[in-house]
Amino acid sequence: MFQQILIAALFSMLQFGTPILIAGLGGVISENSGVVNLALEGIMRMGGFFAVVGAYYTGNPWLGLALGIGMGAVMGLLAAWVTVSWRGDQVVYGVAVNVFALGGMTYLLQLFFNTTGHSPPVSSFSSGVVISPTFAQGLLVFLVVGLTYAVVSWSMARMKRSNAKKTLILTAVIGLPLGIAFSFFAPAREVVFGAFNKQTIFVYFALILPFLLHFLLYQTKWGLRIRAVGENPKAADTLGINIYVIRYACVILSYVFGAIAGASMSIGQLDIFDNHMPAGKGFIALAAMIFGKWKPLGTLAAVLFFTLAGVAGDLIQGLSTTYPVLASIPRGWLNAFPYMLTLLALAGFVGRAVPPAADGIPYEKGEK
Amino acid sequence: MEPVIELKGITKQFPAVLANDHIDMSIRKKEVFAIVGENGAGKTTLMNIIYGLYQPDSGKILIRGKETRINGPHQAIAEGIGMVHQHFMLVPVLTVAENIVLGIEPTKAGLVMDMDRARKEVAEFSQKYGMPIDPDARVEYLPVGMQQRVEIIKALFRGAEILILDEPTAVLTPLEREGLFLTINALIEQGKTVIFISHKLNEVMAIADRIAVLRGGRVMGVVDSKETSEAQLARMMVGRDVVLDIAKNPQKLGELVLEVQDLRAKNERGLDAVKGISFHLRRGEILGIAGVEGNGQTELIRVLTGMAKAESGKVLVNRKEMTGATVKSLRRAGIAHIPQDRLRTGLILPFNISENIVLGMHAEPPFARGIVQQRAEVNRFAKEKEDEFDVRPRDITVKAKSLSGGNQQKVIIAREVSSGPEVMIAAQPTRGLDIGATEFVHRKLLEERDKGKAVLLQSLELEEILSLSDRVMVMYGGEIVGCFETKTTNEDELAHYMLGLKRQEHVKA
Repeated sequence: MFQQILIAALFSMLQFGTPILIAGLGGVISENSGVVNLALEGIMRMGGFFAVVGAYYTGNPWLGLALGIGMGAVMGLLAAWVTVSWRGDQVVYGVAVNVFALGGMTYLLQLFFNTTGHSPPVSSFSSGVVISPTFAQGLLVFLVVGLTYAVVSWSMARMKRSNAKKTLILTAVIGLPLGIAFSFFAPAREVVFGAFNKQTIFVYFALILPFLLHFLLYQTKWGLRIRAVGENPKAADTLGINIYVIRYACVILSYVFGAIAGASMSIGQLDIFDNHMPAGKGFIALAAMIFGKWKPLGTLAAVLFFTLAGVAGDLIQGLSTTYPVLASIPRGWLNAFPYMLTLLALAGFVGRAVPPAADGIPYEKGEK
Repeated sequence: MEPVIELKGITKQFPAVLANDHIDMSIRKKEVFAIVGENGAGKTTLMNIIYGLYQPDSGKILIRGKETRINGPHQAIAEGIGMVHQHFMLVPVLTVAENIVLGIEPTKAGLVMDMDRARKEVAEFSQKYGMPIDPDARVEYLPVGMQQRVEIIKALFRGAEILILDEPTAVLTPLEREGLFLTINALIEQGKTVIFISHKLNEVMAIADRIAVLRGGRVMGVVDSKETSEAQLARMMVGRDVVLDIAKNPQKLGELVLEVQDLRAKNERGLDAVKGISFHLRRGEILGIAGVEGNGQTELIRVLTGMAKAESGKVLVNRKEMTGATVKSLRRAGIAHIPQDRLRTGLILPFNISENIVLGMHAEPPFARGIVQQRAEVNRFAKEKEDEFDVRPRDITVKAKSLSGGNQQKVIIAREVSSGPEVMIAAQPTRGLDIGATEFVHRKLLEERDKGKAVLLQSLELEEILSLSDRVMVMYGGEIVGCFETKTTNEDELAHYMLGLKRQEHVKA
C-alpha cells in the first residue's frame, strides 16, 4: 500500500519535474554566459506548440520534436541578435517573448486547428518507454551514483576544496558500492521500476542533462570561457576570447532547451497542445535556477525540492484514507507549500543567491 | 642596447582631443622605461595603441626593428607584449590557475581541462619569477597586491617579453609597492622589458632607468633617472614650476570642535575594526591619520560622518554629543566629508555638475522653495563655484561621469567647502589624482585650516600627511598607536608605528 503511494508520487514527481528541470537548465546555460533569459515560459509555449504542429502534419513525434527544437533555435538566434549584437534590454526582450507567445500561440491554435481549447491528439511519446527490471536495476545504480556525485561536489565546494579528480574518486568509493547494494534491495528496485516504467524519453534526458551541463561548465575549456564571459567579459576579451560567439551559442542552446521542455509537456506527457501550456512552469524553472544558484546540479536539487514539495500534497492526500487526521489539511495549503518553502529558503536559509557578475549586462567592445 | 619597441610619429586624434601628437620614443631591452604625465596627457592612449586596443591615425610601430601593425590584444600578445591594466582584468570567482590559463587552457582530448597541468605550470612560473602564489586560491579572496601578481603572471604565461604596467601602484599599499618593485627588478634580471606608467614622481625616480614625460599628447623629453630630479620632471609635466613642498602659514590654533572618546565600531563584515579610539581636533589645525590600508581608518571615518553606527564611545561636535547622529544632522552640525571613493560615495555619476555641486544643500533655501527646486539659483551657484574652484570644462551641464578624476574631486571639494563646515573630513583626497590636481586639493585643505576650520586628513601617502598636517596619529589594528607633532617626526619613525613594530602607551591624540 505504502509502496504504491510512493511509486505514484515518484511517478508524478518525475512528470512534473522534467519540463521544469530542462527549462531551468536552459536558463543556467544562458545566464552563466551573462545573458538573462526571462523568455523560458514563452519559449516553452512555442516549442510545445510547434512540436504538436510537426507531429500533426508528419505523424512522427520525432519530426515534431525536431520542429519544436528548430523553432527554439530560430527564436534563440533572434534573441541573441537583439540582446547580444544590438545590446537590447534582456529583461524587456524576455517579457516581450512571453507576451508574444501567449497571444501568438492562441492565434496559431485557432489558425491551425480552429479551436481555442486544445489541439487534436497527435502521435506522441506519451505512451512512454517500457523498461525491464534489469534496466531498473541499472537505473537505480545510476541514480544513487548521480546523487552521491551531486552531494560530494556540493560539499567539496562548500569546503572550498573543489577538485574534479577527488570528486570522482570519492563518488566512486561511496556511491558505487551504495548504488550496487541498493540495487539488490528488492523494494527499492520495485519502486524505481514502478516510477520509471512508461515514463517518456524526456525524463531520461532531464536526468542526464544536469550532469552533462555540469561537466561542460566546470570541466571543459568551453565551460571556463562561458563562466569567464558571464563574470567579466572584458577580461575574457583581452585574452582573445570571442564573447559574441560564446553568448550566441549559449543563448541559442538555452532557447533549444526551453523548446524541448515545452515539447516534453505537449508531445511527452500528453499528445495535445493545450492553450494553458505551460501554465507557469517556465517561471518555476527560473525560480529553480535562482534557487540552485545558477548551477546545473544546484538547479537539479532545486527542482527535486520543488517537486518533492509538490507531490507531498498528493502523498498526504493518498495517506489521508489511512490517517484521517491528514484530511483536515486544506488542499490549497498543500498546493502553496513548495512556493512558500521557496520563499523561506530564498529569504535566508540557503545563503544569498549571487548571479554571474555580468548577468544581464550587454557587452560593448572598446567601451571604457 | 638595441631597442625592442620604437614608436615613430604616433598620432591619435579623438573627436575632442589630440591624444597623441607625433610621439617618438624608443624603448631598450632590459630597462624599466617610465612614462609620466598628468591625467589626460595621453599615456594610456599610447599604451592602448601599443597593445592593439586602438589604431594610430598615423605613425609606425617597430618591434625588434621590424615594422608591425598591431590589430588587437591577441596580436600584441603574439608579439610578446603583455599589459597589466590599471583596473585588473581578472575573473573574481575563478581560481588563480583558471584566470591565468583562460584562453590557452591545457586540455586532454582537446576539450576537457587538464587542471593538474595548469596548476603545475602556474606554480612553476610563479617560482621562476619569484612571485609565489597559490594556484587554487579564488581571485576574489586575494589582496590587491596578489591580484596584481596574478595579472603579471598571466602576461608572462603568454610569453610576454615586454610588460606594460599601467599605474600599477595606484591601488597598492606601501608594503605591496615594495613587493612590486622587487618583482620588477627580478623581471629585468630575467631579460624582460618593463614599461611603467605613472604620475607619481618619487616612484618613477626609484624604479625607472629612463623616463619619458608626456604633456598634452606630446613627448616633452626623455631623461635618464640618474640625471634628473623630481622638480625637473614636475616642471616638464606641468609646464611650470610646481610647489612640491608646501609652505604652510603659522598655525593659529582655536578652540576644540571635534572630540572622540573611546570609540568602537565594527566593519561591514561585523568584525571589530575600531577598537577604542580617542582624539580631539581644534580649529586651525590639520590632524593627519596615517596607517596602512585596512587598519580601521575607513571605519572610523564612516562613523564620524554618520555612514555607520558606533558600537560604543562618544563623538562630540562643538561640545555637543552627536554619537549615532544621522548624516544630515552631522552635516548641519558642520561636518563636511570628502569621501575616499569619489565615484561611489562622492558623486552621483549620471547627474551633471550643477546637481552634484548642490547635493546635500539641494533641499534648503535658496536652492529649494518648499518642494520646488530653484533651478536658476542652483545654476547660478554652480557657475560661481565652477569659476572659484576651476572645474573644467566650464559647463555645468556636463555629467559627473565624463569629468576627469581631478575635476570630479574639484566638484566634491567645491560642494563640501561651500557647505560652510566646521570640520572637514578628507579621506584620501588625492588618491589617483595627478600633480596639478593634487596641488590644488592640498592648497584648498590648507586654506580651510587657515580660515580657522578643523581638518581631519586620512591618507595612505605618508608624504602627503607630513607635508600638510600639524599633528599625525598612526592607526594600526584599529587603534591609535602613536601621535606626533609633525615637526618632530619623520617618515621612518611613522613607518615603524604603521607596521605595528612600535607603539606608544595610552595614546590620547
